[in-house]
Amino acid sequence: MFQSGFVKLLRDGKGFEGTLIAAAVLYLVVFAAFPLVYTVVMSFQEVDMFTLGTLVRPFAGLENYTDLFHRPEFTPIVWNTVIFVTLSIAFQLVIGFGLALFFQQDFPGSTYVRGLFLAGWILPALVVGAVWRWIFAGDFGVLNYALQSLGLIDGQIYWLSNPAYALYSVIIANIWLGVPFNMILLSVGLAGIPGDVYEAAEMDGANAFQRFLTITLPMMGPTLGAVIALGVIFTLQQFDLVAALTQGGPANASNVAQYWSWQMSFQTYEISGGATVATMMIALVIVVAVIYVRSVQREHTF
Amino acid sequence: MNQIEIQHLNKNYGALQVLHDISLDIPVGAFVALVGPSGCGKSTLLRTIAGLETITSGTIKVAGEVVNDKAPRERDLAMVFQSYALYPHMTVEQNMSYSLRLRRRPKAEIDERVGEAARILGLEKLLKRRPKQLSGGQRQRVAMGRAIVRKPKVFLFDEPLSNLDAALRVQMRSEIRKLHKNLGATSVYVTHDQIEAMTMADLIVVLHDGRIEQIGRPLDLYRRPANRFVAGFIGSPAMNFVPAEVTADGLAVAIGAGALLRIPRAQEPGRKVLAGLRPEHLRLDGSGEQLSGVAEIVEGTGSMTFIEARVGDELLNIAHAGTFEIEAGAPLTLGIASEDIYLFDPDTGRAL
Repeated sequence: MFQSGFVKLLRDGKGFEGTLIAAAVLYLVVFAAFPLVYTVVMSFQEVDMFTLGTLVRPFAGLENYTDLFHRPEFTPIVWNTVIFVTLSIAFQLVIGFGLALFFQQDFPGSTYVRGLFLAGWILPALVVGAVWRWIFAGDFGVLNYALQSLGLIDGQIYWLSNPAYALYSVIIANIWLGVPFNMILLSVGLAGIPGDVYEAAEMDGANAFQRFLTITLPMMGPTLGAVIALGVIFTLQQFDLVAALTQGGPANASNVAQYWSWQMSFQTYEISGGATVATMMIALVIVVAVIYVRSVQREHTF
Repeated sequence: MNQIEIQHLNKNYGALQVLHDISLDIPVGAFVALVGPSGCGKSTLLRTIAGLETITSGTIKVAGEVVNDKAPRERDLAMVFQSYALYPHMTVEQNMSYSLRLRRRPKAEIDERVGEAARILGLEKLLKRRPKQLSGGQRQRVAMGRAIVRKPKVFLFDEPLSNLDAALRVQMRSEIRKLHKNLGATSVYVTHDQIEAMTMADLIVVLHDGRIEQIGRPLDLYRRPANRFVAGFIGSPAMNFVPAEVTADGLAVAIGAGALLRIPRAQEPGRKVLAGLRPEHLRLDGSGEQLSGVAEIVEGTGSMTFIEARVGDELLNIAHAGTFEIEAGAPLTLGIASEDIYLFDPDTGRAL
């Protein structure tokens, strides 16, 4: 009797709604909110191997942060991260937009070929990393072979172990990985611009380039904002590719913040240092997320 | 002089031919309506003039110049779209000035022309708004304004009023007509609504299945339809068609129920025909050629009374101006003037 009453409470009306909410909130608390808050808390604590098992640890104030800022690798890694994010997004966006515009043209098979582009995106980043490792390989890599055959370079370039190239090699692989995603989102945006608006512009005397500048670009603004914001978030999460290609090396030449945070937390057990880097990245991502949400809202204003 | 000349235009989509041998001259300053049922090719024809659709064969001339291979922007035609196709990210002012800004006209001239168009259309207070903040009728005006500021050779209208409610449509109908009178630019107006075509146009082109059925002035189409399609399409409510047979002397037709109607011109005796009787020509006082029937449905609107009457095996619609009191089921004697009887070939539909 009690049992069926309880089941009924869960199944009907307010009880059912409450159950759904509780399930979602429970999931978020356990798997998102707690780790997030715990990371932020740890960035203000002294954490070492002996206090790992407890939640109550000595308060460290901003010591973890000042300590981090004074590390010699801090500035290069931040700079690497900026280059990594900026170049990745710039090229992903330009190439993705170009492809989206290309496949927007009406030619036989355009939708199928566009679909095939997604194949790259659904590969795990670790697999992509392994493939690019072979492409970039100094002695037998296909990239060196191609460049040598074209007569562009004489010797071999050690893409992944030369500090001058390592970061850019990771960026190239990341651009390749991110282009299909950008293309698909931008294609959706392009498809949302009514055809008769272009026709009206054509009647009004706009050539193809003017139509792009005065119709396509402004009407794509919200979509571009959303794609850039998502791109920043995804690029700041791009851990697998770094792990698969260079592990941040040589000598931090290709190290980026997200990988550095992992190294400190799980390789050198400077857990508070790792948490501090992570906390700063959380702050940055929140800012970007706000921009993203605003962009998405603006998408509906046209 | 003709502003637009179309000669032997054909348009195919793959194996499907949507326009068949269209030839049409549009005089300078004329208001021409392309009218026909959905899918008759009227919008496609307009879009071929605009250059938004390619043509399969034939020629299109604008102001004496062949424009077959010219891009829409090189033809100097302004178009008002059914959906208005306003630029959603631009204000009303920017929407209207867009074409002038593309042509890099001086700012003072742009402001003057936009201001003038806004004044004509009553849009002065809305210049800073975006299309989303406007009502349907206001958007329609902006679309018109965008065309007016260009001072083009030709206005092309693609069912511009079909998204408006009935009252607004009637109002805009006369405004567009007035606008045309004031601006004097040649206008080509596509509509499926024959009343719009009848009230607005100088010249009506009736299209059906991608072919021109008839070209003529509105009342000429009403009085002398070339075929059964035009007769049924022009006029509201639509013409009644009744199978009939020409009598032995060739001077009358026999309608199923035994009624004999004298016809305006002698026809081949014994020939099977379709008699066309307009609802508004059928008189309830029984004067003229007589038909007896039974009233089946009576609808009074005050100004008009619509009666559906059974005459023999046929149902006839009658439109009577004013009120008329009659019970459904009551007998009725209808009359029609002999010269108001149209005859058509039952096979080809051609007027006899």
